[in-house]
Amino acid sequence: MKWNSQDIQLFIKEREYIDTAVVPLYPVSFREDMKQSVSMTEFIQLLSGQLEKQFKGRLLMLPGISYLKTLSEDKLTSDLKEWEDELISQGFKHIFYITSDSDWKTVEDKLTGGLIWMPSIPLENMDDQYKNSILDDQVKQLLNLFVRKWQNND
Amino acid sequence: MSKNRVSRRQFLNYTLTGVGGFMAAGMLMPMVRFAVDPVLQSKGESDFIPTPQKVDEITEEPTRVDYKFEQVDAWYTSEETGTAWVYKDEKGEIVALSPVCKHLGCVVDWNTDKSNPEHFYCPCHGGLYTKDGKNVPGTPPIAALDVFPIKEVDGYLYLGKAEPR
Repeated sequence: MKWNSQDIQLFIKEREYIDTAVVPLYPVSFREDMKQSVSMTEFIQLLSGQLEKQFKGRLLMLPGISYLKTLSEDKLTSDLKEWEDELISQGFKHIFYITSDSDWKTVEDKLTGGLIWMPSIPLENMDDQYKNSILDDQVKQLLNLFVRKWQNND
Repeated sequence: MSKNRVSRRQFLNYTLTGVGGFMAAGMLMPMVRFAVDPVLQSKGESDFIPTPQKVDEITEEPTRVDYKFEQVDAWYTSEETGTAWVYKDEKGEIVALSPVCKHLGCVVDWNTDKSNPEHFYCPCHGGLYTKDGKNVPGTPPIAALDVFPIKEVDGYLYLGKAEPR
């Protein structure tokens, strides 16, 4: 389910079936790593779009959290914990974060949800066809991850 | 001085008629073009979308066929990839099924569930469909998979818009 009115209507109706929330994490920076943060955001946006298409019926793709790269790790983690608590209290059994920002790797243990870290690929120089096939490959790898997690808990 | 000398009056007549003619044409042409425009309007491309799948290479085993089409979201046009499961049934007729699960819209896969071989399987909630796309009772889906109308053009498979059964 995407975060739009049409899908959310269906979500409210079929809520019992949708037990997975996916939160894309988008780093935002205006300093020397600005370009990098843009390409990370771009890549994760494309990737989460594809992912949503595959698993439309079981996951809710949240609009994503943009955060300033200048914020401290503790602050970011505690903010994300608040999201997590809310999602869990609202009945989501599985939570996934999807990001290209490797800083999250260091705080992975503190999070309840699974952290999916995908290194961002410089997509800006690729033509559409190549871009799509690369994204498809990446998404295919993710599919197993989700299916395995679901099977373990069912 | 030759006999055919053009008089001043004649010269002005010719010139004015010529210029006037151009001006009239300049006004009339767009009007005529507007009037006949509906006839010249090219018909929107047929709803069938070409796929890279050759028709004589289709087997009895469902295979994944990806095709590209342009999708217009308001003013934004993007190239989207669509997928179909294509195979030949016992009668040798080509069947193209939509991969979108009729339950909540996940993408189904052929033969991926080990306990139910030769079925379309939806990884989200365990929906099952037989090879002809019928939903297996007792699993979440409540309808059979949509079917694409198909067409063969120059040996390649063309798909129409998926229709529910």
